Amino acid sequence: MVKNNRLIRLILGVATLFVSLTFLNNASAVDVVFAEDRPDLRTLDPRITQSRHEEMLIVNMFDQLIAADSNGNMYPGLATSWDVSSDGLHYTFELRDDVTFHDGTKFNAAAVKITFDSIVDPETGSQGAIDILGPYASSEVISEYKVRVNFSRRYGSALTAFTETELSIISPKALNDLGNEGFGMAPVGTGPFMFKSWEANKKVEMVNNPDYNWAPEYMDGSGPSKVENLTYRLIKDTSTRVAALESGEVDIAELVPPLDMRRFDSSGELNTIAGIVSGLPYSAFLNTSVGHFQDIKVRQAFFYSLNRVKMTSDLFFGYAEAAFGPISSATPSYWKGNEGYYQYDAAKAEALLEEAGWKMGSNGVREKNGETLSIFFPCLLEPDTCVAIQAYANKVGFDVNVEVVMKARQDELIFANGYDMMVIRWVSLDPGVLIIPFHSRNIPAPGKFKFNWSRYSTPELDQLLEDAESAETQETKDDLYMQIQKIIMDQAIFLAIHDQVQTIAYNPNLEGIKFANGNWQLRMYDVREK
Amino acid sequence: MNFFLKKLLIVIPTLYISWTVVFITLNIIPGDPVNLMLGGRPASDEVRENVRHNLGLDKPVVERYFSFLINATKGDLGKSYLTRQPVTTMIKENMMPTIQLSIGGLIFGVFFGVLLGITAGAKPNSWGDTFAMIVALCGISLPSFWIGMLLIFIFGTTLGWVPIVGDGFTALILPSVTVGLFFAGGMARLTRSSLIDVLNQDYIRTARSKGTSKFKIIFKHAFRNAMIPPVTLLGIQFGLLITGAVITEEVFARPGLGQLLLQAILSKDIPLVQALIVYMTAVYIFLNLVVDFTYGLIDPRIRLERKAT
Repeated sequence: MVKNNRLIRLILGVATLFVSLTFLNNASAVDVVFAEDRPDLRTLDPRITQSRHEEMLIVNMFDQLIAADSNGNMYPGLATSWDVSSDGLHYTFELRDDVTFHDGTKFNAAAVKITFDSIVDPETGSQGAIDILGPYASSEVISEYKVRVNFSRRYGSALTAFTETELSIISPKALNDLGNEGFGMAPVGTGPFMFKSWEANKKVEMVNNPDYNWAPEYMDGSGPSKVENLTYRLIKDTSTRVAALESGEVDIAELVPPLDMRRFDSSGELNTIAGIVSGLPYSAFLNTSVGHFQDIKVRQAFFYSLNRVKMTSDLFFGYAEAAFGPISSATPSYWKGNEGYYQYDAAKAEALLEEAGWKMGSNGVREKNGETLSIFFPCLLEPDTCVAIQAYANKVGFDVNVEVVMKARQDELIFANGYDMMVIRWVSLDPGVLIIPFHSRNIPAPGKFKFNWSRYSTPELDQLLEDAESAETQETKDDLYMQIQKIIMDQAIFLAIHDQVQTIAYNPNLEGIKFANGNWQLRMYDVREK
Repeated sequence: MNFFLKKLLIVIPTLYISWTVVFITLNIIPGDPVNLMLGGRPASDEVRENVRHNLGLDKPVVERYFSFLINATKGDLGKSYLTRQPVTTMIKENMMPTIQLSIGGLIFGVFFGVLLGITAGAKPNSWGDTFAMIVALCGISLPSFWIGMLLIFIFGTTLGWVPIVGDGFTALILPSVTVGLFFAGGMARLTRSSLIDVLNQDYIRTARSKGTSKFKIIFKHAFRNAMIPPVTLLGIQFGLLITGAVITEEVFARPGLGQLLLQAILSKDIPLVQALIVYMTAVYIFLNLVVDFTYGLIDPRIRLERKAT
């Protein structure tokens, strides 16, 4: 595995990410290389990105006001303490006074203000941070190391938001020198690694930040990272990614196929870790506005027809679990009650279809008034899973027509309301994400791309989603999200199938690889030779 | 002079027509660049409007078309929707890896292809001929993702002789062989048939009857004359390579123009597609000129004919 003493490679591949670590003669200095699968790595500006793959790199170059471990537990980050006003509108942060950006300028309250103000500036073109910042109103510099962030209404998810990679604090000097576009190509933050170079479609190199002395307390190490150099390589092809990992060219790979994960686990050749991603599981919306899924009995029958536990274990060999609720079990405010719904029961599915008037036809497809029980299922993500769903539903008399589509075709079908079901998945740290796929104002229309693809709308659900967003206490928040999840389950509009999983395989000589909050990105700070 | 000038003048209408076709096609096919850019991630209306405005997509189609044409004549091909970088910078960044791979593939392909072609053509219907033609057929018909994976498995993972994805010259070997095999297949078949043809000519028979050695006949008398058809093929195939070998680039995780174009089309990145069309048109025209010029080098009669007209 180790080709020579000076060079140990570490591959991080979530979609194709790997890291190669170089150990210098003294074992305290390490080089890491990463690989990334996205051909269109576009910006490394945390304020602009909306891509979990770009964040894979960003997370190692920046810090946030509040640090969070992979379980979402909060620790002092760039802020040593914070205080929330009783009306929930003002968040006051005491900041560290010993932090410098990679360009040598001092981190202070003004940097926080400039970062947040620029996120909401339309010229920045923020694609993720602006939504995460919610009802942001302004920031006030109270003193050099004290800042107050104001919201225009109570924002229950604010503390979580301040831990998100998108709200990383950037160097005002670098932003001023480079402009929005230039900054995204050569970012400057306060994180444990500094940007070095970017070879388009090939690799991004980072180097150790020797001044780093502000690691959050949940990290094992302190001071600068043991990793000297960190290289992220783009290897889109799964087989090549795994081959480069096995040949020792890279040390860590992400998005390793479950079959290879199993092979590495049984041979011990490489170590593996898998993370259950928080947010929306891999799920299907059932369209309640057109077609056969307008009938709730048909929707419920579809749910009952699927053996999600078996299907997931067949497809993922134990590296992902079946999911049952609208948010994954790793997401805060997840409701355990979800798991009592729609356990596999083919007999019940058939009974529901009979009740709804669908009689079994001669060719194994149910019919009613001369119509067949046909379901149009355009599939953008995971065709294997779509086909497995098709096979199960077919057993109880559904005729599911799976069409593997590209994004552009999917958009067209969404605008035209021309589908019976559609799949989605999404990484998010907060149940607040539910407002986007379930509020009635987010039902798509021609020319208006929105995410409520089941097109379900009741004032009751809308109200609950709005109230939950500005809930005052954690108990109220949990209770409101429980009610929301219950409605979604009762109405059978959103069929969770399996948890999203990030599969990592790495060189067994390394340790200290940690998932960032959300369980997708990897923090390379603690990586070291065993 | 006339000959070259005529070729160059064709460039202008060719570019104009291809740009217009690209612009119309990309505007007709479904998919909103803003959605494609956001990659399906939920985003608020505010975000969508900001992105649309920043890309200039809030302007009418006609206005976008004419402002593109005007800027293009000034040499400004615009900025990519996806990365906001000037498209010319993006093409430059991806051009070098593509040129390296093309030259690597060309060297391997010509050497190996001509070798197989001569082996086969010198003694038709022999064992050597059959073997060489089977290899050539494999080169042409086996998909490059399969050949690539096989080479990675044998020489990268199992034997560990060459890096799979690394940097530098050694990392160029496997991808060059992958594209070169396809190249070699076509070259070998054409060299063979052309050589057989030439070897049946009267002047070869004369040479043979005078007792010239077989080696000398092939390399001194037949080879040059047999190379005209393969050189034409070479031009076409090199043109294909230099505009990007998508699958080989993907298998070996190499950047390149093929990847760039594929991505640009899938994400409706109109400025980038248009700029790549300019590049490809230019490359084909240039290669045609080179091929024409090479004919003259190989066969002095063509050179003299051109002078005469």
